[in-house]
Amino acid sequence: MPIAYQDIRANFRLIKLSGRLDIPGTGEIEGMFAALAATDSHRVVVDLTEVSFLASIGIRSIISNAKAQHQRGGKMVLFVGDNASVIKTLEMTGIDSLVPIFKDMAEAEQAATS
Amino acid sequence: MLVVAKPSEMAVQASEDEVRAASAWLETACEEAGVPADQVFRLDLCLNEVLANIIYHGGPSARTAPVLLSLCVGGETKGRQARLSVSDAGMAFNPLTAPVAKQATSLADVMPGGLGLTMISCNSDRLEYAFLDGRNQLSVFVEW
Repeated sequence: MPIAYQDIRANFRLIKLSGRLDIPGTGEIEGMFAALAATDSHRVVVDLTEVSFLASIGIRSIISNAKAQHQRGGKMVLFVGDNASVIKTLEMTGIDSLVPIFKDMAEAEQAATS
Repeated sequence: MLVVAKPSEMAVQASEDEVRAASAWLETACEEAGVPADQVFRLDLCLNEVLANIIYHGGPSARTAPVLLSLCVGGETKGRQARLSVSDAGMAFNPLTAPVAKQATSLADVMPGGLGLTMISCNSDRLEYAFLDGRNQLSVFVEW
């Protein structure tokens, strides 16, 4: 399953996505992604470092969950590392201005939990 | 002199289940034609977005006839190009003249949808569209 998670602390969850977030790939993870992102901890980092392909349907899933978390008073940020293709896609679609992206995990965690 | 290789062709159904097969065909066809990996990636993103538009917005007629794909690579050693053509029987839709969704400035305002056309535009160097014989004919060009 190209989705995994880890509750780092009581108020902080890390969700790791991997593989192709195309139509079938997003369909495979979106139910669990929504359930995991709706954590009561309200602070989420989504790790995209091992996502090899990010289509608009995958971006919509990320936005939808970030928006839902925001509406509950929580916060979601993205950890992209040096994943150039994902960074380029997020920038060209302007998503980086809606959901903060970080190349450094420590900075992502700090942004999510602050 | 412009050299154009024989196009590679494939037919798929407008179905979520066939998107990966279309991508696999594209990757193989591009590899055989010597398309650089970064350009294959751009074409694959465009193909996924075009197929998504057909599957989710093409209407019932899009699902009754195959989606026809072809790849044609041409040009000299310097200044080559690949043309990915997608032909479908869905509702007429010209992505070149479709309104681009206004970019949201906050999560509170963002609405789903509209990203696909942005993705196609940003990952291609040129687009051509025609509606012929009841079919959308979209060509996506990349150059290197």
